[in-house]
Amino acid sequence: MRVPVGGNPLRWGAEIALGLYRSVVLTLLTVLLPTVAGFVGFGGSLVAYSWTKGSTAPLAVRALASLGETLVIVVWIAAGVWMVHLLTSRQLAQAARRVTRRWLALELEVSYRPVFPVTRMATGYWWDGVEYQKSEREARRRARMQARFHDPQLHWDGLWGVVAGVTVLPVAALPPLAVAGGGYLIAARGLPLPGVAAIVAGLAAAPFAWRVLRPVAVRFLGTTPQSLFGRRVRQLEAIRADQTQAQVAELERIERGLHDGAQARIVAMGMAMQVAERMVDTDPAAAKAILADARATSAAALAELRSLVRGINPPVLAERGLVDAVRALALDAPVEVTVHSEVPSRVERPVESAVYFAVAELLTNVAKHAHATEVRIELVYRSRTLTATVTDNGAGGAAAAAGSGLSGIERRVKAFDGRLLITSPAGGPTHITVAVPCALS
Amino acid sequence: MRIVVAEDLFLLRDGMVRLVEAYGHTVVAAVDSGPATLEALLSTRPDAAIVDVRLPPTFSDEGLKAALAARQVIPGLPVLILSQHVEQLYARELLADGHGGVGYQLKDRVLDADQFMDALDRVAGGGTALDPTVVAKLLGRPVRADPLATLTERERSVLALMAEGLSNTAIAGKLFLSEGAISKYTTTIFAKLGLAGDEDTNRRVRAVLTYLDAGAGWA
Repeated sequence: MRVPVGGNPLRWGAEIALGLYRSVVLTLLTVLLPTVAGFVGFGGSLVAYSWTKGSTAPLAVRALASLGETLVIVVWIAAGVWMVHLLTSRQLAQAARRVTRRWLALELEVSYRPVFPVTRMATGYWWDGVEYQKSEREARRRARMQARFHDPQLHWDGLWGVVAGVTVLPVAALPPLAVAGGGYLIAARGLPLPGVAAIVAGLAAAPFAWRVLRPVAVRFLGTTPQSLFGRRVRQLEAIRADQTQAQVAELERIERGLHDGAQARIVAMGMAMQVAERMVDTDPAAAKAILADARATSAAALAELRSLVRGINPPVLAERGLVDAVRALALDAPVEVTVHSEVPSRVERPVESAVYFAVAELLTNVAKHAHATEVRIELVYRSRTLTATVTDNGAGGAAAAAGSGLSGIERRVKAFDGRLLITSPAGGPTHITVAVPCALS
Repeated sequence: MRIVVAEDLFLLRDGMVRLVEAYGHTVVAAVDSGPATLEALLSTRPDAAIVDVRLPPTFSDEGLKAALAARQVIPGLPVLILSQHVEQLYARELLADGHGGVGYQLKDRVLDADQFMDALDRVAGGGTALDPTVVAKLLGRPVRADPLATLTERERSVLALMAEGLSNTAIAGKLFLSEGAISKYTTTIFAKLGLAGDEDTNRRVRAVLTYLDAGAGWA
């Protein structure tokens, strides 16, 4: 919390003025629903309680009647608040979000329900997302209404209005009310002492009162819990689409590798052997040379298969698990790499593979771009999360730009609900952490 | 020589047995799983063993584990490990006990029967036979450990060939130098690495170990 620094009256003045301004703004933003409730309640009670005025019925009957009248008033208040809420909640909540962003640097992103694009059906009717309409105009109007009034976010904003009306409003309204009340006491009533006391109290409270906004805003001004689900579903759909794409690309790569590499070489070997078979009696020397060639081809085919296998599922990873596989990577790296591990046993296989390839990619990046002389890899399994941190003493400035290796890693670990954290100031050092929640196997 | 062959794929095992027998050796046991390998190694105490890294039942590094376990019981038991891929990590583990008699090669090397049998002979004789791929990876590493930094370029390449397990004669052939020159180089290397004069084979193994340790990537 920012507290005015002592000994600087100018600074105090600024803080007080700012606080007063913010209190007034918050008051205006939250006062509507309580005011409506107050008016309806007051007016309603004047009307409703007049129904039994002067009645001489027994006490029990009169008590029952006034209970009924109170209920009627409550219903009126609810109806009034509901109507005002439908018409104003969105605008007021958006305005509150703007001041929250400006004053507290709190980003509260929300999305309202979009207007359904109406479509003409083969029957000639128009579909507005809920029902069929005869005319396009009517369908569009209905779609707009639907989007506007049947939006879970709107009702969540309404809840903010109610909650803020009983929490933010009383606190934020206090300083301006005290100052105004003090002024009134001095000017109109000629009571300088209580007036000055009220003004001083109001000014003193001003820098703090508006801060009631943060706790309430954090809880009620964000996205409705319902649409959090929706967002999660969309996120998962995107991940799934990504995964299927990646899988197809991977299979294509493997197929091409086999087709153009090992397969072609084995065909060549078969042909060479056939020729050798035919020549072995007539020209044994040439046959021998051809067979030697064929053997060289088989060695090349094996080498290709080996590198292909390494890209699919590295043998060390299959045989030893993540930690030893990363150690093997470290040994093959062109820079000095130290590996520290706090992983008690093997983790789930898919996570193992994802983290392995992430670390491999990070090491390649270090070798290619960082000009580092020392790299440290830490593998830690703690609170159900596997983290791999790669730290280098290189040039820094790493960022997950679109299409870069880092964004590729990010995409892959996201499929496991994992995260990629990069701190890489220009001049280094660079820390890159891959964290993936998983279970030990 | 009496040889044990451990390989789970029938075709390869059969081919290996025939190859070994064609060179005049006896196969005393041909096994196809990790536990069977350990048993065969301990009960027959062969002159050399050819062991595949990946064996049943887990299809992880059963073969390597069996070989390491057998060498704990019988120090220096010569084993030639074969694998579809070679890793410095495994080479390090194999050489760690410092007894020599260790080979670690790609399965492809079987295609060149002469060289393969030569490697087997070297292993049986207590030497080392590392796959050139492993050695190349070692050579690719930046030099940082002190004893190695003092070696000249030429001495390093001699050491690399030594790591593959070549004799002085063979190294001389590869580098187009006289055998005398090579033996001078090896003496300098041993001196620089602080390996005082004991038996030559053992010193060669220890030189390779020093080389591997220089690349040690973790504490």
